[in-house]
Amino acid sequence: MKEQYYKSLDDLIYDARQASSEPDAGDRKSILQMKQEAKSTGNSRRDFLKLFGFSVASAAIAVSCKQPVEKAIPFLIRPEKIIPGEASYFASTYFDGIDYCSILVKVRDGRPIKIEGNTMSSVTMGGTNARTQASVLGLYDNKRHKNPTYEGKKISWDEADDKIMLFLDEVKKRQGKVVILSSTIISPSTKAAIQEFLDAHPGSEHIQYDVLSASGILKANEKTFGKGFIPAYDFSKAELIVGFDADFLGTWLSPVEYTKQYAKNRKLVDGERSMSRHIHFEGGMSLTGSNADERYQIRPSQEKLVLANLYQELLSLNGQSGSSVPSSPVDVKKIAGELSSKKGKSLVVSGSNDVENQLLVNAINHLLQNYGSTIQTDIHLKLRQGMDEDMDRLVGEMESGQVEGLILYDVNPAFDYPEADRFVSALKNIDLKIAMPILGEETSEHVHYVCPDHHYLEAWNDAEVKTGIYSLAQPTIRPIFKTRAAQESLLKWAGNPVDYHTYIRKNWEENLFAGSGETSFDDFWNSKLHDGIYESGQLENGMLEFDAGAVDSALAQAKITSGDDSLELSFYTNISVGSGKQANNPWLQELPDPVTKVCWDNYAAVSPKLAEELELEDEQLVKINDFGPIPVIVQPGQEYKTISVALGYGRLNMGIPDGTVGKNAFPLIQSSNGIKQYHLPQVTIEKLDGAYQLARTQSHHSMEGRNLVRETTLEDYLANPASGNEMRETIKAHMKSLYAQRKFEGFHWGMAIDLNSCTGCNACVVACSAENNVPVVGKEQVIKAREMHWIRIDRYYKGDPDNPELVRQPVMCQHCDNAPCENVCPVAATTHSNEGINQMAYNRCIGTRYCNNNCPYKVRRFNFFDYTGADSMPGNRKDPAEMTTDLRRLVLNPDVTVRAKGVIEKCSFCIQRIQEKKLVAKNENRQLQDGEVVPACAQSCPADAIVFGDLNNEESRISKFFADERNYHLLEELHTLPSVGYLTKVKNKTI
Amino acid sequence: MENHKVKNLLILDESQNPRFEKKLTKAYRMKLKFPVLRKSGFSPKGFLFVFLMSIFVFSAAASAEPQVQQSEQDSANTAAVKLSSPTDTASTQSDSVVAKAVDETGAETQVDSTGSAAKPDTVSNETASAKSKPVEEDKFGHYRNDIKRGERFFRGLLPHNNEQTSCVSCHNITRSDTLNWNPSAKDIANKYIEKSFAEFKAVVMEPSGGKMAEVHKDYNFEDADLKTVKAYLDDLSMRGPAPVKPTIDRLLLFLFLGLIVTWALLEMIFFRKIKYKAVPLIIFLGVFGYQVKMLYEEGVSLGRSQNYEPEQPIKFSHKVHAGQNKIDCKYCHFTVEQSKSAGIPPTDLCLNCHSLVREGTRSGKFEIAKVIDATENGVPVEWVRIHNLPDHVFFSHAQHVNAGKLDCVECHGEIAEMDVVRQVEDLSMGWCLECHRTKEVQFVDNNFYESYDEFHEQIKKGEIDKVTVEMVGGTDCMKCHY
Repeated sequence: MKEQYYKSLDDLIYDARQASSEPDAGDRKSILQMKQEAKSTGNSRRDFLKLFGFSVASAAIAVSCKQPVEKAIPFLIRPEKIIPGEASYFASTYFDGIDYCSILVKVRDGRPIKIEGNTMSSVTMGGTNARTQASVLGLYDNKRHKNPTYEGKKISWDEADDKIMLFLDEVKKRQGKVVILSSTIISPSTKAAIQEFLDAHPGSEHIQYDVLSASGILKANEKTFGKGFIPAYDFSKAELIVGFDADFLGTWLSPVEYTKQYAKNRKLVDGERSMSRHIHFEGGMSLTGSNADERYQIRPSQEKLVLANLYQELLSLNGQSGSSVPSSPVDVKKIAGELSSKKGKSLVVSGSNDVENQLLVNAINHLLQNYGSTIQTDIHLKLRQGMDEDMDRLVGEMESGQVEGLILYDVNPAFDYPEADRFVSALKNIDLKIAMPILGEETSEHVHYVCPDHHYLEAWNDAEVKTGIYSLAQPTIRPIFKTRAAQESLLKWAGNPVDYHTYIRKNWEENLFAGSGETSFDDFWNSKLHDGIYESGQLENGMLEFDAGAVDSALAQAKITSGDDSLELSFYTNISVGSGKQANNPWLQELPDPVTKVCWDNYAAVSPKLAEELELEDEQLVKINDFGPIPVIVQPGQEYKTISVALGYGRLNMGIPDGTVGKNAFPLIQSSNGIKQYHLPQVTIEKLDGAYQLARTQSHHSMEGRNLVRETTLEDYLANPASGNEMRETIKAHMKSLYAQRKFEGFHWGMAIDLNSCTGCNACVVACSAENNVPVVGKEQVIKAREMHWIRIDRYYKGDPDNPELVRQPVMCQHCDNAPCENVCPVAATTHSNEGINQMAYNRCIGTRYCNNNCPYKVRRFNFFDYTGADSMPGNRKDPAEMTTDLRRLVLNPDVTVRAKGVIEKCSFCIQRIQEKKLVAKNENRQLQDGEVVPACAQSCPADAIVFGDLNNEESRISKFFADERNYHLLEELHTLPSVGYLTKVKNKTI
Repeated sequence: MENHKVKNLLILDESQNPRFEKKLTKAYRMKLKFPVLRKSGFSPKGFLFVFLMSIFVFSAAASAEPQVQQSEQDSANTAAVKLSSPTDTASTQSDSVVAKAVDETGAETQVDSTGSAAKPDTVSNETASAKSKPVEEDKFGHYRNDIKRGERFFRGLLPHNNEQTSCVSCHNITRSDTLNWNPSAKDIANKYIEKSFAEFKAVVMEPSGGKMAEVHKDYNFEDADLKTVKAYLDDLSMRGPAPVKPTIDRLLLFLFLGLIVTWALLEMIFFRKIKYKAVPLIIFLGVFGYQVKMLYEEGVSLGRSQNYEPEQPIKFSHKVHAGQNKIDCKYCHFTVEQSKSAGIPPTDLCLNCHSLVREGTRSGKFEIAKVIDATENGVPVEWVRIHNLPDHVFFSHAQHVNAGKLDCVECHGEIAEMDVVRQVEDLSMGWCLECHRTKEVQFVDNNFYESYDEFHEQIKKGEIDKVTVEMVGGTDCMKCHY
């Protein structure tokens, strides 16, 4: 039987209705009603004249104010190598306390406008993720602190310093305690600055507090290896990956790095015939889980049981015997067999924050001899070093009055600490509270001094993300507001008023220069600053010994039960808003979740079975324990008794002006043995009255069950490379036309997307928005299906709604050589270029939307309003997220027109980049090289799933992709002749 | 010397010399008529167009439905308020963009490259208040009467002992179309507003520079007279010159023609007094045709500024630099081969020569001193942009000059012969395309074009003898609009 694809449960129901022969009375009635309504509004001749007169008069006035006197102001003294009108790129580092990425910052005329991946980094290897891409908009944020304040009143830096230092001196005399509370610090120079402060103020302490904690791994490794650290994982060496609720492609530890490694091992191009296999266990449907070859649903509380069973199976396969455990809800015998056949070439990871779970994972990896191959213990990942118990202890000390001064650096516990109320009330016991935030956040409301830090694009910094792998960050714009580097503040208060740039240089000269083997420090510094990275090759001291005994004794004490049957709540962070640090970033708020396709809100995901039992529907409001009201999403693939809620939402006045986006779930988090647990057992769900509308980019792009994503299994692929793509031959045979196929002299641009590599991480969507000035439309408009993204990632479910498989497909303008849109435009605003690009002339477009209607791929977007302030008529404006303010508009790319109301827009294959690179080649008197032109989406992709190039060049990579037997075109049976090709998805599953 | 004086006398004050106006170019006449409007971002042509359109709309609306008229007016009013809305700051191809966003409110962020935010025009207010209180002291302690007297002295309207020409014969009060090398009254006023009378007097009476010393030779003014001149100049610096009243000849002509059209229509339909019916018909067709032509001309020139020739903050002459001294264009506009923008030279580049050349043969020290002042004070010179494409057009100098090997004069005209730079071409899309259709690309010389196998083949066979820009896609929309 033919398998059925659907985009949501609504689709399934709709299909069922279609199948039944009953005529749909509802639809016809609504059309009749519409006609009635149209009549009743009574558009009279008078209205027409009013409108006509107004539009002519206003157009004329708009035209008449065209010619202001424009000034051309040159530099007084031109900085070397800065060419007005040309972009410069600076290597830098993105780190926000959670995510790390080595980046290049594109600066146009003094403004950073785009983030690109740094291909020289061995960690992120040129990849980025959505949050990194969007971070440039955080620079131009009106909610940033603009100057130092004391109790909300503006003061000068000198004044603030004087008062703070006076107080610190007093505390010092008393030997009082000052605590610096920060997120994880990976910068060696910042650590040195903090140490300097601690040395100057004896009795002080530095505590690292992580919103998304990895204390479980740290603790487990402390037991296993005698040292709390996070090892370096290498997914590219793993032929078999078994994940337990670890969203390593989306949010877990170092997702960009892991996506690069993961995708590398799953490509079947360039003669590669093997790929890794990925088995995933989880409760909710995560980005990573949805990419797995095999996915098993377990409740978070069952994870330990499954792990223990797996361990026991592996032990017995190894000829050892272990203690008996209750039977697993999932049969792990087969997986254990597979794992033991891949010894040293497999990897088991868990996202759990439970020490015992992580101990089991360690023991399994040890048994599989993965340490030393897929897991390196001599290189440590320096992210997420915070211990939850330290933070809890600090709050206790604050309550008992032991802390006299508190300096908050890059943390926001009033929002994301589970017991935020307790923290806020404990703050009252502290005599000196200083916050060094960038954005105006919840915690800075409760402090004395706000000493705002630079945005990372304005600041110097360094980072050591893994042992021996350093990177530098440099300012790309002069500070916009009266801010100061937090390190400079700390050093000043420690009595060392030095600027942080000098301090980093000194630190590098003393600690890193010696080992580099270079002769001049200036040369060393300049080359590392240029590259953005420095890899010293140093390793942690010695190979750590695996203490199997300690693990066994710890596991022997563990209580492993089969658990009860109650509902569980599972917390996760999504790829867009993450932990909520960038909640005021409209690009991220409007980014649809890769699974549910919801944006601008969080929600409670429930399984279809549970929804049926409790009679829940999408958008139905519920209450979970005391948390709510929150709307429900019925999520295929959700574990029956698990409810998932995203963290990071519910920030006050963030995302939209004067309001909150979503509900804050942090207060629900509970600790066990001093470690935050990101799931809550034994919850009750209560159905409330009413519904809450969610903005989903889901079914208004439905392609009505045609063969859009073609897929096969590895086994079939090896037997027949064209498997899953057999219909292509038939379609090709039918591709006959009366008309000659157009030939493109010179270049014929094309794009290929490897569906096997694409994970659906959405980095391309944000990159495209940043590059092409794609507007943010807001929740209300998304509900009306008016989102503007030029590239979208469609996802389809397949099979049993309770346990479906999931496939994804990035779709942008297909640049058809026989384009249906071009034929219907009455004003020839969309035409075909002689390089095969479907071009769009905004100034010619009159907004009939015929093209939109005639496009089978539904990739054209219409500007229903002026969202970015391009229009001279303020009445046309719709600005849900303050994107028309002058500050926000600084992020716009000057090489791309800002579209006004009433025109269609769509993917242009980043024509500005094509033109730029063609000109470079012309000026250098040479041919354009393959791979020189990289559109924004391909540049940002951490999985290298997108290939762009010239189809006329037979040697180009794109031509090879197009010649691959896996290649097919979307709806090619329509004879639209798209310039975008897809490679079939191959799943490595055994059926 | 004599000739020079005659020339200066000719242009002593063009706004008061009706004969002179005939010599002016059409575009410049418009600017003369609406100097204030032009600055505040208002186009007289546009105004005319709007006015006519409004009349048309109103009459159409009124004849159809009398009640509509009020709402039309309302909407026209609200639309008029929108005049001050800034143009798009994003898609600029500017020379420098400086983000100023330090204000605590954060709302004052502005990209000043567009220069779209017109400076507040305080002229009219101050004039009004000054008129109402004639004898009151101003900010500098000058009496109104002194200022008036100073102005008359400056204009040479007061009798005085010697035979010298009046100040205004060299120092313009309002601007002229040909380059007057002497500093204008406003320039002098701005320079000496912060300086004492003694300094001012020293410069007037005992100038140090060669040319000025020659002209100001044997000056013999009373201190009292000079003080009134200083008072007038200080006042001028604050107020700017009095606006020239606009004349509306073209609009009046249009309305007059409208009357004739109306009469001709009435005659044909109702009066029927003329025996030959063809007469009113011919009059109607001829006059109405002319009206249509006027409308068409105004419509076409909307948003274009051919012959635009604004006054620059420094009397910089391309004729002197590029023409007489034969300085290569690319010496100053040195990013022309690498960037979209040819680049206005940074001020310190001027000092490469002008650190030594401190005095011009005709301009004396005054103009060159502005460059040196700018460098010393750290305030860049705010040149007025002449060639200005709409925001949705992406033009690259590097593409045309470096890759296309075009000469600057092909688009900019004989700049080396212009004292004041004028926009020679209309920079319309038709003009661009005309060139793209005929111009050859560097097909053989540039290896980039090796990708075009077919054309190389055809050239070899002799099927084509040249490859134009159009043939490699130069007329595609997305070559310039994206």
